[in-house]
Amino acid sequence: MSDGSENGGAMLAVVLIAATIAFVVIGTMWPTKAALAYTGGQGLTSSSSTPEAAVQNLGDEIRASAWQKAYDGLANKAQFTEQEFEHDLKGYYPSLRTYATLDRFEVFPLHASDSDAEVRLKLYWSSVVGISEGTRDLHVVRAGDRWQVEWPIVKKPVVPPQVIPVNYLRWDVIYRGAGDDWGAQDVEAPHVRIVDMRPVERAEGVVILGELLNEDVVPAYVSVNATLIGKNQQPIATEGSFDKISHLLLPKQVTPFLINFPNATLADVGSVRMTPFSTLVPASADPVIEIDNEKLNPAPDASLTGQVINQSGQVVNVAHVLGTFYDSTGHLVWVADEYLDRALLPQTPESFNIHIPEDLARQISSERTIVSTYSSGGSV
Amino acid sequence: MQKTELLERSQRPLPLSLLLMAAVAVHLPLLLMKLPLKSYDTNFHIFFASHYLHHWWDPWNPKWYAGFSQTTYPPLPQQWVAVVSHVLGLEMAYMAVQLAAILLLVVGVYRFATLWVSPRAASYAALASVFLGSESFLVYSAGQLGTTAAAPLYLNALPFLFSWVRRGSGRSFIKAVALFTAAAAAHHATLLFGSFFFALPVLALAYLDRDEDGERVAPPAFFARTLAIIAIVGAAIAVVLLPFWIALIHYPVTQTPIPHPSRANYILSPQWGMNYFVVPYGALILALPFVFWRGSTEKHLRPLLLGFWVAFLLGLGGTTPVGPVLLGRAFNVLTMERFSYWATLLALPIVGVLAVELVARFRMRAAVSLTILAAFTCALAVGWTTYHPADAEDFDVSPVAAWLNRDGHDQYRYVTLGFGNKISRLAMMTDAGSVDGEWNSGRMLPELTRYGGGALTSSKYFGTAGLEALRAMLMHADHYGLKWVFVRDEYYDPLLTFAGWRPVDHLNDGTITIWSKDGVPPAQPLNAPQIPPHWQDVIWGVCPFGSSIVAILVLLIPEKRRQAAEARYPAVRDGELGLGRMVS
Repeated sequence: MSDGSENGGAMLAVVLIAATIAFVVIGTMWPTKAALAYTGGQGLTSSSSTPEAAVQNLGDEIRASAWQKAYDGLANKAQFTEQEFEHDLKGYYPSLRTYATLDRFEVFPLHASDSDAEVRLKLYWSSVVGISEGTRDLHVVRAGDRWQVEWPIVKKPVVPPQVIPVNYLRWDVIYRGAGDDWGAQDVEAPHVRIVDMRPVERAEGVVILGELLNEDVVPAYVSVNATLIGKNQQPIATEGSFDKISHLLLPKQVTPFLINFPNATLADVGSVRMTPFSTLVPASADPVIEIDNEKLNPAPDASLTGQVINQSGQVVNVAHVLGTFYDSTGHLVWVADEYLDRALLPQTPESFNIHIPEDLARQISSERTIVSTYSSGGSV
Repeated sequence: MQKTELLERSQRPLPLSLLLMAAVAVHLPLLLMKLPLKSYDTNFHIFFASHYLHHWWDPWNPKWYAGFSQTTYPPLPQQWVAVVSHVLGLEMAYMAVQLAAILLLVVGVYRFATLWVSPRAASYAALASVFLGSESFLVYSAGQLGTTAAAPLYLNALPFLFSWVRRGSGRSFIKAVALFTAAAAAHHATLLFGSFFFALPVLALAYLDRDEDGERVAPPAFFARTLAIIAIVGAAIAVVLLPFWIALIHYPVTQTPIPHPSRANYILSPQWGMNYFVVPYGALILALPFVFWRGSTEKHLRPLLLGFWVAFLLGLGGTTPVGPVLLGRAFNVLTMERFSYWATLLALPIVGVLAVELVARFRMRAAVSLTILAAFTCALAVGWTTYHPADAEDFDVSPVAAWLNRDGHDQYRYVTLGFGNKISRLAMMTDAGSVDGEWNSGRMLPELTRYGGGALTSSKYFGTAGLEALRAMLMHADHYGLKWVFVRDEYYDPLLTFAGWRPVDHLNDGTITIWSKDGVPPAQPLNAPQIPPHWQDVIWGVCPFGSSIVAILVLLIPEKRRQAAEARYPAVRDGELGLGRMVS
């Protein structure tokens, strides 16, 4: 091999190695979207040279579940422990938030001066039942050439020692025998009736609203299906109420329901076939959830706000608040819901805020709220 | 005289029989222990094989996704597993086919390496392939039977390609066509990318060497032969995998990309750097400077080096911008560990040179050091399944299958939550169909393709995308006859509760809860347009498997024993390579 070839080869080796290093540096300094998905959005360098950047970094660290890093960067970390900080975000008791991951977040500057600033951090948590939102207004302070967040910690709620009498109603069901197929019940299904139904055209498609009554004297597990029938008498689509209903109805209880038909238009619909379904199940009236301080807030940002209070001695891990909205003549206008992503502790109020579409808010003059719950067991 | 003999002996290649025995000694015990069953994809391949075992002439599999076509995945290794399972049963048949692929890799690496380096260095490269971290990683941790079966076939085809292009050997032409076709029937991505990483360097070598060994090949002849083999191989692959191409053209993979950690930045996410770089490369990382240096300074090694370099960069996933730039959308569809596998295969010939030079210079010290490094590399990759298991927890799915198979429960479809890759094993054991599955490119249900989540059973690990897909599927439970949800993770309980499902039974000491939805009608077969017509069933049953039989038969055709390596490295002597008698 000639010297010239060897020199050329050496140059090639240097070029390839240098290019490889350059590619790695570029890929690390400016990571691709796919790569960022595994770092919680964090790159190699993160600057806190502005209040927004400091909050952005904190959001990235929360998304990456880098609790220690997030805690270490806080200006007021001496006021609470890292564990308290994590529990403040993820919940002190098992709840939707406990197992949620931060899907994304938004940063809104509210006010700034040379030494401090107010920044709003809007967090979108991905939970098993969907996205839940949370907002924190953060005070950010300058510390030398960088900014640090003061975290507004919400300490663990303390439930006072007490005795809570339990005197709720309960229905048990005795089936035919141990060898029976669970599904082959020898009793008649509870009588349920759709007491109201209304199709509505929305931007996302057709929505069927309604209310279902358990007319029976036994509890019922219910669901509702709807089939849109075209003007040519052919079915267009069938959908179910899914989680926009309270599936467990005690005797004489009413639940609202909402069924979505994405991409359908009311003009194509000739009729709607409703199919309620019920089955007998054991049930109890516990836990009793009280709804307090309900208030209809007008547009803009129309909403139904209030508080739910767990009257039982058990922790309710997840609560689902369903609001039914009526106009001044008592006609059904809308059904909306919200999952509370914090556990309901006994006798401890928890706020809810159900969003109402702006265009419907003006028609609403009254509402009715029900709460369904999920508990994985255990008491405080 | 004795000194000359010693010198000659030190230049001889290691006997092929020794190399194969090393492969058997290392991998046979691991395969007899069924270690690959712990990997990510092994049960997936066995599930496919199980379908071929029972329905060889019907690739429409109703057990996943309410029905999907297995023509969306090249079938050769799985069909071989199905065939061998008649004797060994499915699991051991898988191990047998995997062992055959490992042995073929030793042969393939040797034959491929002889194009580039001395036979002795090639034999060291082949020995290194036995301990290759990326091979063990794919076999025992990833369970990529298709990739690990196709690569050796491809490597074995390349010397015939060289021989055909360089000398116009008709026998080599036939053998190359047969082996390339069989490789494509084993794994389509290997064919596509192997053409760039492996075949182009070999063609470049043949062109650069066109004036060597006294048989000058004119450029027009070179290009004509190249075009001829591309045309014939292309036609053969088009026919053999015709149902695959039809499925791909009619139903291209347009679903929302699913995240995969092999696309992470391995520096920003060091845990994935460990998984997809340190473990597959192992001690080969120490040889990388030499690979670059020797590959650059030896003129005829430069095409090999460039092929290695591009594969190496792509194998780094999201650590560099090369993958997204070169692959475009395919970057978000492919997984990157296969590129590291190919990169290590391409590096082996030069690593073989390094080993020869180290042994020549440092003798026993080098031999011992290399042995320790090789053993460490292999051990790390094999042991990685323990430290980074595909399934965090092992559990028995047979009670679930038994429950589904009794009392008419299999009239309805089911889905599991928190079962990981046990869903393949469950699908093999039950007659019931599921709306979930592990072959993402084969699924067509809009609830699954729209959001960018992987298998429903692991929904929560895909964040919002996975949970949206799960919610969409549960919403349409009535449509798919989906009545049963087997839950092994309480995370999902609130969703099922509020969506109208009720727990009806418990299995495995209460660790698995069966949820049911009332009023769901029995599952009906989907009248999907993706169901292949009967003529495609016949092609799928005959051609891919037949291509491997043809490849075996044509390899028996004797060929003039002449290799480029012999011209470049005349020290090779007759009788040293059993391989030559076997395949050329």
